[in-house]
Amino acid sequence: MADASVIVAQVIFGLIRGILLGCVFALIALGLNLVWGIAKVVNIAHGELVMLGAYGAYFLNLFLGFNPLLTAPIDAALGLAAGLGFYFAILHRELRGKEAITLQSEMVTLVATFGLSLAISNLANIAFTGNFVGIPFDAGSIEIGFLQIPLAGIYVAVLSVVIISLTHVLLNRTYLGNAIRAYSQDIPAAKLMGINPTAVAAIGTGLAFAVTMAGGAFLTTLFPTGINPYMGALYAPISYVIVVLGGPGRMWGSLVGGLTLGIVIDVGQIFLGVEIAYAVAFLLLIPVLLLRPEGILR
Amino acid sequence: MNFGRLLRSAPTLWGLAGFLVVLAVWGPWIPTFVLTLLINLLLFASLAYSMNFIAGLTGYVSFGHVVFMGTGAYAWGYVVGTFGWHPLAGIVAGAAVGLALALGIGSVALRFRGVYFAIATLVTALAARNIILVIPALGDGQGIILNLGFEPLTWFYTIWVILGIQVGLTYWVTHGRIGYGLRAIKSDEDAAKALGVDAARLKLFVFAFSGLFAGAAGALNVWTLSGVFPEPAFDLLFSLQMLAMVIIGGMGTLLGPLLGAVAVYLPHNYFLTVAVGAEFIVIGILVTFFALVVPQGIVGALRRYVPTLRGIIE
Amino acid sequence: MSQTSEPEPAPPASKAGRTKLIAIVVAIVVILVALAAAAIYYFRLGGPCATPASLSDGPATVANPAWTAAPVIQSPEPTDKAIGSPTQAGTITVGFTISLTGRYTVEGTNSLRGLNATESWINTHGGITVGGQTYDVRLKYYNDQSDSGNVNQLYTTLIQQDGAQFLLAPYSSALTTAAAPIADGQDRVMMSHGGAADTIWTSTNRVNLVEVLSPASSYLKGSVDWIKANHSTDRIAVIHESDSFSTLAAQSAITYARSLGLTVVYNASYPTGTTDLSTQLNAAKLACADALIGGGHFNDGLLIMNQLKTTWTPKFVSLLVAVTEPSFQAQLQATANKVLGPSQWESGVTYSPALAQTTGIDWFGPTPAEFTQLYGTLNAGASPSYHSAEAGAALLVLADAIRRANSLNTAAVRAALGTMHIMTFFGEFQIDSRGLQVAHSMVVVQWQAGALKIVQPQDVAESPVQYPYTGS
Repeated sequence: MADASVIVAQVIFGLIRGILLGCVFALIALGLNLVWGIAKVVNIAHGELVMLGAYGAYFLNLFLGFNPLLTAPIDAALGLAAGLGFYFAILHRELRGKEAITLQSEMVTLVATFGLSLAISNLANIAFTGNFVGIPFDAGSIEIGFLQIPLAGIYVAVLSVVIISLTHVLLNRTYLGNAIRAYSQDIPAAKLMGINPTAVAAIGTGLAFAVTMAGGAFLTTLFPTGINPYMGALYAPISYVIVVLGGPGRMWGSLVGGLTLGIVIDVGQIFLGVEIAYAVAFLLLIPVLLLRPEGILR
Repeated sequence: MNFGRLLRSAPTLWGLAGFLVVLAVWGPWIPTFVLTLLINLLLFASLAYSMNFIAGLTGYVSFGHVVFMGTGAYAWGYVVGTFGWHPLAGIVAGAAVGLALALGIGSVALRFRGVYFAIATLVTALAARNIILVIPALGDGQGIILNLGFEPLTWFYTIWVILGIQVGLTYWVTHGRIGYGLRAIKSDEDAAKALGVDAARLKLFVFAFSGLFAGAAGALNVWTLSGVFPEPAFDLLFSLQMLAMVIIGGMGTLLGPLLGAVAVYLPHNYFLTVAVGAEFIVIGILVTFFALVVPQGIVGALRRYVPTLRGIIE
Repeated sequence: MSQTSEPEPAPPASKAGRTKLIAIVVAIVVILVALAAAAIYYFRLGGPCATPASLSDGPATVANPAWTAAPVIQSPEPTDKAIGSPTQAGTITVGFTISLTGRYTVEGTNSLRGLNATESWINTHGGITVGGQTYDVRLKYYNDQSDSGNVNQLYTTLIQQDGAQFLLAPYSSALTTAAAPIADGQDRVMMSHGGAADTIWTSTNRVNLVEVLSPASSYLKGSVDWIKANHSTDRIAVIHESDSFSTLAAQSAITYARSLGLTVVYNASYPTGTTDLSTQLNAAKLACADALIGGGHFNDGLLIMNQLKTTWTPKFVSLLVAVTEPSFQAQLQATANKVLGPSQWESGVTYSPALAQTTGIDWFGPTPAEFTQLYGTLNAGASPSYHSAEAGAALLVLADAIRRANSLNTAAVRAALGTMHIMTFFGEFQIDSRGLQVAHSMVVVQWQAGALKIVQPQDVAESPVQYPYTGS
């Protein structure tokens, strides 16, 4: 590996792969970011949504032959329903009638979603068995020199960026978006403007879950195997780091955070090995929290 | 404070002490296969008390507490395996490393409130496991394999001592001036600071205890397993179980962690043979239920709904 | 949580002292009752309630009400046990835990099936004769959920409650490490069939733990030998899982390859549960490697093969564990062709009583064909994997050792194991003074046109190695 051109080729591959991965990470983190930013709730069961999205893609492929790109809208619809259900079953109790989210309700929802995460992943382990599965989806690849870049990865990365942009437009250019942002900034004021806080929070949560599950479906194209009941244990922490990096409530922040993490992991492991690359990616959170608690974008 | 007054003023403490004394006296006559169960039960109780120091007393929920267990375990494995220390000295080393790490992590992470603290501790635990995997002196991925014999009675009394100290410390911390400060921090940290509570120091103080005992318990755990392997030593499930025990038993209470440990650990055997795989589904649902409906846990609920118990259990 | 955060009023000490004292007593009683209930519940678990996990065809062992008993280790002599217990006279209980759920579900389940097969063979071939009396083998086991935290409790239960006279180790090195001290501490012979890490024996002193399979360090040696003999200029890349077994196997292979003068150009590890190795595979390709060896368990083996499709086509691929599983080929189809892997055993091995006779050692148990057939009969036509064979062989070797020792005494059986050199359907068995296996040899297999063929060593090969790997 002493040869410089070899290192350059590796870094190029790492960068490309990191960017593709980062876009999908960003989409997954966007789901967490929406709930975090809007309802001020950190969903510990976030990783389990990714897992369910991935399994959704897997089973639709297994039984109906859908490819993961086609599955994403179906997953999103399921996610929307799950999000609404989750809001009314769990969050509504805590958030109803509150003018601002206290630290205490924040911790209550944290712990409640932690319980859910345990229950869901272990239910999935019984329902789907613990075997790692994958979706045989090959959309061809393009060759750059002696490197091959799978096209499927490019598709999902582009789609992820499109979805993130659409979410940004939705939040900034539509009535619903204005209502959601108003709710997240000042609940009593939003109420005065005739906004129904319950509806806004419920729709926001549904939207977040939809995006997350679609992200889970996209993720399956980047990894040939690796769909398993406990995969959430990896993607949840990654999402936390991304959201903190980008700043909770900032949709573009997710993209920046996602790309940062993707590149740190995929370029980092060339020099440091997988283990340390992931350790660095995780620990990035600490200096960011210390130095720029609003996220690296500010 | 004379004996009778202390007895009357701290019934839960004396109840716990009585329970521990009964166990200690009974120890040598307990059949080995029950003793192994009790060792694990006390280990879980010890982990619960460790989590209680930080999550229960200050309201800072730590998702990465297993990092102290894991590093304590590796410290034990290293000094016992490489330097040939006595395993008991290894436990002290595990506790010391847990303490040092807690001071290190705590001085940074305790600046973050609520969710940020939870996430910061979680990523620290994940990173620590990955770092251990590439340290050749700690056996990298191979772990450390030891053979120190099968000594259930030694393990039992060791964990008994650790648990006893924790119960005493929990009582001391909750009933002194520190306790008032901690309760103030838990209900409103900014207000507490305004009133002159040195929040940063108090939090670090209890977090240090928390890390120390988790390190000791982690070291004992791998002693009973005769070897340290990265995956089991840093299994996040430990963190989650610690949290579940404290939430179910009652955050910040003296009796709660023990009740939580009994509730979480004892059914384990049932799940091993009968309802295989359902264990964490049940625990997860229980945790969600307690968080939303009975946030005070078993002990808090008893105090609230059974007035006669209010002055007795804590 | 908002409730517990309110400052607690200090209990007024002067008032209601008596009620409090009563309450203390009540609290202690409640705790003790809870503990007693838990204990009783637990005792019941060890008794007839646990039989869902039992394989016994005969009447279940009704445990003595042990909460009245002192912690006396049950004597391994069956005559003592027969009193007050309906256990069939003439049964030897072999206890073990096995992973039926968790990480090692597949390996654990296959091991158990192999044990069932050899148990059945022993019992239908006259059982084990000790002191002129014949005994049937009875297996007694619990599911350890692939978690070493369960091992202490389950093995002591097996010994004290279920009267296990001999033990088999659990699957995997970590669980075997945890179980082994019990064998020494409670004076039982323990046969290891799934704990391959050499360091279990080499780094500590064991007495009663006896290894039946080849140790981890020998897994990849066959592949390295082949490269040395046939393509000694091939550069080797090693990519392996960073768990106990795979690290040991891969690092031993690197040391061995270098000692033979081969070039190792790339070496990387990855943690358990990794889902992306394209960076490492690319790096190996860019390092101009010709051969890829390593891997870890089934999932990562599959991952490596899948990602090779889009990254690199090495000339030679040899992976741990995954390759020998039939589902490896079922999932990869043509991509699996020409992939090699080490195996402890395959149904096509040529061990036979005749071979044993030429070698000058004794033969015990079924032939490989008989074992495969018996296994199929018991498991709806399934064919045994090497995990089935190594577990089955562990029970056979134990049975033969008991027969040779002509005693059920732990020390006598362990002594017999130490001097034995025999051949079973699994291959040769002989251990060194530490209990480490020295005579068994592994084979190298390769998928060839959808069939798994033994390709190494030469004397048992069914077919020559097909080289190079082409990706389809």
